[in-house]
Amino acid sequence: MAAFDFHFTEQAVAKVGRQPHALIPILQQLQDRYGYLPPEALDHLCRITDIRPADVTGVSSFYDMFRHTPAGKHRVRVCRGTACHVSGAERIEDALRLHLHIPAGTDTDAERQFTVEPVACVGCCTLAPVVQIDRTTLGHTTPEKVPDLLRDFLAQGNGGTESTEEATPPGPRDRPTIHVGLGSCCMSKGSDHLFHALQASAAESGARVNIKRVGCVGMCHRTPMIELVAPGGTGRFYAGLKADQAGALLDAHFRPRGLWPRAARGFNRMLDRLLDDAPPPHEQIDRFAMERHEPGVEAFLGKQVHIATESYGRLDPLDLDEYERHDGFAALRRTLAEAKPEETITTIERSGLRGRGGAGFPTGQKWRVVRQQAAAEKYVIANGDEGDPGAFMDRMILESFPFRVVEGLAIAAVAVGAHEGIFYIRHEYPLAVRRIRAAIASLEKRGWLGPRLLGTDYPLKFSVMEGAGAFICGEETALMASLEGHRGMPRLRPPFPAESGLWGRPTLINNVETLAMVPWIIRCGWERFAAIGTEKSKGTKVFALAGHVRRGGLIEIPMGTTIREIVEGMGGGAPDGRRFKAVQIGGPSGGCVPARLADTPVDFESLRGIGAIMGSGGLVVLDDSTCMVDMARYFLQFTQSQSCGKCTFCRVGTRRMLDILDRLCTGGAQRHDLHELERLAHQVGAGSLCGLGKTAPNPVLTTLRYFKDEYEAHLQGRCPAKRCTALIKYQVNERCTGCTLCAQHCPVDAIPMVPYERHHIDTERCTRCDSCRQVCPHGAVEVA
Amino acid sequence: MSAITLTIDGQTVEALPGQSVLAAARTLGLDIPTLCHLEKCGPLTTCLVCLVRINGRLVPSCGTKVEPGMVVESETELVHAARRTALELLFSDHVGDCLSPCNLLCPLLLNIPVMIRQIEAGRNMEAIATVRQALPLPAVLGRLCHHPCEKGCRRGAHDDAAAIREMERFAADEDFRAPTRHRPPAKPATGKTVAIVGAGPTGLAASYFLAREGHTVRVFDRHEKPGGTLHRSVAEKHLPNEVLEAEVGWLEEFGVHFTGSTELGRDITLARLTSSHDAVVLAVGETAMNEAETLQVPVASTGIAADPNTCRTTLPAVFAAGAAVKPVKQLVRAMSEGRMVAECVSQFLDGRTVRRPDKPFSNIMGRLDAGELLTFVRTASPAARVSPCDACAAGLSRQAAAGEASRCLHCDCRSSGDCTLQHYARVYAVDANRFRSKRRTFEQQLQPGGVIFEPGKCILCGICVKLTETAREPLGLTFIGRGFNVRIGTPLNGTIEDGLQKVAAEVVHHCPTGALCFAAPDQEK
Repeated sequence: MAAFDFHFTEQAVAKVGRQPHALIPILQQLQDRYGYLPPEALDHLCRITDIRPADVTGVSSFYDMFRHTPAGKHRVRVCRGTACHVSGAERIEDALRLHLHIPAGTDTDAERQFTVEPVACVGCCTLAPVVQIDRTTLGHTTPEKVPDLLRDFLAQGNGGTESTEEATPPGPRDRPTIHVGLGSCCMSKGSDHLFHALQASAAESGARVNIKRVGCVGMCHRTPMIELVAPGGTGRFYAGLKADQAGALLDAHFRPRGLWPRAARGFNRMLDRLLDDAPPPHEQIDRFAMERHEPGVEAFLGKQVHIATESYGRLDPLDLDEYERHDGFAALRRTLAEAKPEETITTIERSGLRGRGGAGFPTGQKWRVVRQQAAAEKYVIANGDEGDPGAFMDRMILESFPFRVVEGLAIAAVAVGAHEGIFYIRHEYPLAVRRIRAAIASLEKRGWLGPRLLGTDYPLKFSVMEGAGAFICGEETALMASLEGHRGMPRLRPPFPAESGLWGRPTLINNVETLAMVPWIIRCGWERFAAIGTEKSKGTKVFALAGHVRRGGLIEIPMGTTIREIVEGMGGGAPDGRRFKAVQIGGPSGGCVPARLADTPVDFESLRGIGAIMGSGGLVVLDDSTCMVDMARYFLQFTQSQSCGKCTFCRVGTRRMLDILDRLCTGGAQRHDLHELERLAHQVGAGSLCGLGKTAPNPVLTTLRYFKDEYEAHLQGRCPAKRCTALIKYQVNERCTGCTLCAQHCPVDAIPMVPYERHHIDTERCTRCDSCRQVCPHGAVEVA
Repeated sequence: MSAITLTIDGQTVEALPGQSVLAAARTLGLDIPTLCHLEKCGPLTTCLVCLVRINGRLVPSCGTKVEPGMVVESETELVHAARRTALELLFSDHVGDCLSPCNLLCPLLLNIPVMIRQIEAGRNMEAIATVRQALPLPAVLGRLCHHPCEKGCRRGAHDDAAAIREMERFAADEDFRAPTRHRPPAKPATGKTVAIVGAGPTGLAASYFLAREGHTVRVFDRHEKPGGTLHRSVAEKHLPNEVLEAEVGWLEEFGVHFTGSTELGRDITLARLTSSHDAVVLAVGETAMNEAETLQVPVASTGIAADPNTCRTTLPAVFAAGAAVKPVKQLVRAMSEGRMVAECVSQFLDGRTVRRPDKPFSNIMGRLDAGELLTFVRTASPAARVSPCDACAAGLSRQAAAGEASRCLHCDCRSSGDCTLQHYARVYAVDANRFRSKRRTFEQQLQPGGVIFEPGKCILCGICVKLTETAREPLGLTFIGRGFNVRIGTPLNGTIEDGLQKVAAEVVHHCPTGALCFAAPDQEK
């Protein structure tokens, strides 16, 4: 065997250092370079650094992103987020494995072309079910599309996304501007290609228009979104345009400049009409247009109040000057000008702001405790390890408003007296990481961050740490363990991080959304913030609305808005004539709230009262095709797979709860299992060490509380929603015309092809992939 | 530093600032269970069996510091239920038998694997001590027992069960061949007297166990010689007369008084026995039905009426056991009934609550798959079982006994009796099978003469990880993986011995279960 080349390992170490806390960044570089962690490199790493072998093995086996065996050429990641799960992610994964002939227990095909692996949640919930192949994100997939999807990918190569990060000089402000949403969701639907196509078309035709990169508009169900804005400010949306329609859009709105381009356009149009009968540009694009005052748009946008998402869809995420023009850094300047930092803390306290990460702890109080610590060194951390499946608010805020979050963290740092700040962002959000890094770099370049914050004598240093794939690192003590280069295992609190945190120093950890609200509160006054919301839950909350809902996306609404207003009003209710059955709030720590409680206002106390929690803000709507026992099992599978494994109740307790749910979903449960499930759920909740274990039983307890009848049905071997594959079977009814479509599409040959005769499904062979039911044009395939 | 005052279960206790609630509770003599706690490691807070309740929340007492005015609940039903659940969860993922199947199947609970290892090592006097600890009349049982132990022997699934009964007999015979006989330790004399009516298997067994408890024991039998059915129903070729006589002689030497030719109801009355003894045991065998009526002892359909949970009849201080109560087919069962009644009588004489002892706690692994069986087999002698002993009336030679002993798979846990998890399972009356689930595969990493690691028994307390880190082991041990799949292992694919170059003894000593053990401990624990 050829000698292993240690050069890269040495380079990686040189880049980030040889101290124990450099371990994760070193491993990330090795993983990126080799696609796994070669044992030779790990051995060498121990020799050339101060890192202990126990940490190398312990850490590299803890985080999801690290592999110890080589992967295939391309990585296919099947999102297992909540919205994807209820839209059939498991079927997609089954179809991929079947198509690639990947045997059970392995993840890579024989040719080593593709490695198929589940991923916790990529945060593109409105596009569910989502598959990522390398850097390409594909939404709305079906088992049916799997073969084409892989073939197209191989044919088109690996150019999934185009970079939109390079700085684009802003055009003259008196021109109309086309805003192109360049968040992750929009990009996965091709807004990056559209952006470049529009730029190219505009350059070619010389149209007087600015093509502008902007953050998320929030209407993720209509991506890619662009907005045409006249200098006066009125706008018109276009939703769903493809890159090849860029020319038509410009043609429809702008006259080319100069004689030659105009003549060329006229000639081309004539040719088009002669050759393909193509309609004029206006007709081509009008069906994509969407006015702000349309009922659907109005319902979705009208009730929103934008604080964390202020100027949504209008700001270039990385244009520092523009951010400043929109009052950016005014709040930080005011904080720096205060004689006493306590004033800022008092403002935050009075505003009633509570942590948006889940627990709802009063933010000002947290700041004050850190302020009061005598230590010389303190840290502030922005928690961007948004791991809840079904939640993508933080991703959007980081991608769309990086300067706002940086400003929020800087204000926090000044208020508590810290001179070092860290952004901890999950690696599944590469765009968020890039944008925060770019924002920090441009501030440093301007001299506004570093030794002289905004030109004052206050030194403040910011850095970014990428997570390595562990949901538990959203828990603050686990997050700090991860920053110190350890396995992300939480520890018992007290001591709280505010007293003894990172490296034993007082540390303030705030969620990204919390920080994004801080500049607004300081700029506009605590009174205005406190005037919004309910008595104990002030201000607004950003929610990720996804699942079985007509209009999904990101919304920022006043606290106290009812679930019904959100789901039925803004979201437009369940699609396809289905019935809105429940809403899952708070992800794996939250609960399933039945539709009959939909008039519950969304605030910390009300949600807790009905067994759910606010959580970080994932809101997944479930229609009557959802099995609630399966839902409980799904969340427990998630928490179980994300448990750090430290304490008995969470490590083993959640596993035993899952065993019972597995038995329920496969028809093997007995009555005493149901009692045991409830008893154990309470004990796991009471006995676990950290928040993950303490809240893991919530999805089980709420479904037991509100959907007991479904558990009872499963005890009798029935799944009322016809979801649990072990309890259902597919059959063909008399409506069958013998068209053979089902037989053609069955991936496991469970349907013999008998033209013009009623088909029959072999239940033994059938994998319940649902393909036949989806392709049948006559509704002849039914589930029993 | 000034002391802090707090209350635990209503008792006031003083503690120093910085002390844990656990330490404070221990000064009160409260036995809060811990598995991951080791003073020098600091609070690891992994096992969570040391939960207490403070302000309505369950917290690990090892990691919670005392605070002035703290109100702690420890020995309450709710807290105990949580601790028990923690233990039961650990057992649901604990792969291994505490006690070997042979041991659990023996009605007299002979620690067979220990006996076998003593025979294998040639320590025959230790072997007889082990045997006499559990068996009355071992030379008799070694010849006549129907050996249910051998049915459970894991070796049987591979080729043939170990010849356990022959080894038992070998140990007993060795004892009789030795210049002085082994005399098991007996408790100091209690001054209490017990009359046993009937010198059959049940009565003899009861007499042995009661004498060991320090009581004065008199056995009455209507026949001239003690032995009951052993005399009358067993052929000489299966049980030579001198063997029985030798065992009876041994019992007399041990302090049991025999009075022959004395029939209850004819030569002596129950009233007299009860007035002259602190307790009476009726072990009169199957003939009891008509006698019972003349004795005016209440009867049931099967014999003398006695409470199965206490062996007590309705008459004060009168117990009954064995075939006198209901038919007993096997010798070893009859003797185990004798052990039970002896236990009940001792409890009665001590003024304790009388309750038949439960089976000892043991985690049970159940059936092994082929691979697991090989894990055990690879450590044992490949030899075939000794030939049936009909031909060898003399029993096994020392060499043959040692050879047969080397076939034992050592499937019991090396830490049984010295295991914190097992200890608290007994204290908390744990149901090891509360959570039924598919168990992990039994694995054993073994270096000859070195440390044995059985990952399935590991409860991930983290003590070994911490100790190797503190000792700056070059490799040490670490947690590998996440969640339910976390295992302990040596970094960079090293062996357990690679990881334990400096502190193996300390780590093995502090392992709270049998996950880490030495392969060949000098002495059985």
